[in-house]
Amino acid sequence: MDDRRRRFEAQALPHLDAAINLARWLTRSGADADDVVQDAMLRAWRAFDGFRGGDMRPWLLAIVRNCWRNSAGDRKRRGHVAMPEEHAEMNGEALTFSGPSPEASAINTDVGRKLDAAIASLPHEFREVLVLREMEDLSYREIASITDSPIGTVMSRLSRARTMLREKWLGEVESTHAL
Amino acid sequence: MPCDQAHRIEAYLDGELDAANAAAVEQHLESCIECAAQKAQLESLRSALRQSATYHRADARLHGRIRAALDEASPRSNVLPWFRNAWAGAAGGVTATALAASLAFFVLMPAATDPLIADITNAHLRSIASDHLIDVVSTDRHTVKPWLAAHADLSPPVADFAKQGFKLIGGRVDFIDGTRAAVTVYRHGAHIVNVFAWANYEAELPDFATRNGYHIVFWRSGNLVFCAISDTAVDDILQLSRLLKALSQTDGRE
Repeated sequence: MDDRRRRFEAQALPHLDAAINLARWLTRSGADADDVVQDAMLRAWRAFDGFRGGDMRPWLLAIVRNCWRNSAGDRKRRGHVAMPEEHAEMNGEALTFSGPSPEASAINTDVGRKLDAAIASLPHEFREVLVLREMEDLSYREIASITDSPIGTVMSRLSRARTMLREKWLGEVESTHAL
Repeated sequence: MPCDQAHRIEAYLDGELDAANAAAVEQHLESCIECAAQKAQLESLRSALRQSATYHRADARLHGRIRAALDEASPRSNVLPWFRNAWAGAAGGVTATALAASLAFFVLMPAATDPLIADITNAHLRSIASDHLIDVVSTDRHTVKPWLAAHADLSPPVADFAKQGFKLIGGRVDFIDGTRAAVTVYRHGAHIVNVFAWANYEAELPDFATRNGYHIVFWRSGNLVFCAISDTAVDDILQLSRLLKALSQTDGRE
């Protein structure tokens, strides 16, 4: 293995969890997420010489997001599958997750399932800022770079995402109690 | 009516406030029941998200798949152009010139931020995120201009360009590069445009820049430096700058 490959793996592979987590939450499908991440890692490898150094995670997540957008656009153009949002609304199963993941069993609690379903039901522009902020602990500035939007937009989307999530989640809990 | 400090609670919990503003929020939380309740709600949502929501992890199969894909990929060193665009923060829908300009800016600028641009972006963000957007609310240049002259000791050109799509909504005093700046605030559709003006700035200025998705246009007129910043399209900001430049010339003849 050459030096470039070694440096790339040392810097990029530690963020593979972050990459797959973002991809899973964007695609809401295990198989699609794997494809997006593989595509992203190859693009990152080709673009590695342009990486300015520092923390690779935001850089890599920006590539993951772009790959997801490209793949979603491709599917729409080919007319095979609807865009992710429409897909979710047409098919309730999209809200549950295909394929087991190692930690899923550990937190396969009632609260966790309802929360997951509530996050998955958010429109993608709200879902992504929420995942980047609450799961990746990234700053507004980093999220703005990754999502290619102004910081003001990140702030308002995050705020809206939290409000929607709270309403959906509390709604879930209350409707269960009513039964 | 909701507390006007409510929007700052999220920025506070997200660790986005500086020490002075964080202290101010903490003090406010002691006396405002509404904000304290909002803070508690946000905290419980956050702990639920971090404890109970699924964080997906890469399994051994995906690791193997990626290593195999990397083995197959022949080494190439070119940076894909679409990716560089995306990372430069060039918003979609801006003109090719603006895209090229912001691209050039990001490629040429070192990673360390230009302090003036950071100052202006921060002042703009502060004005939008806090309640300090406008000190003097008026659509009348005969109110805003004398107010700025009295409070900022500067008299930049001010006019309501509502017909051209830039509605004057007020003015305030801000600080740029440690000196007092007169700020004229315009509304363009859903966007806020802050126009900063300050004096005695000798250093070289870029014509324009893009930072965090905000476009910034600079120009000089007389002994004043002007800077317009907004998240609207660069062409719109350039149009406002042309209107203000023309006004400077008229003002000078008066």
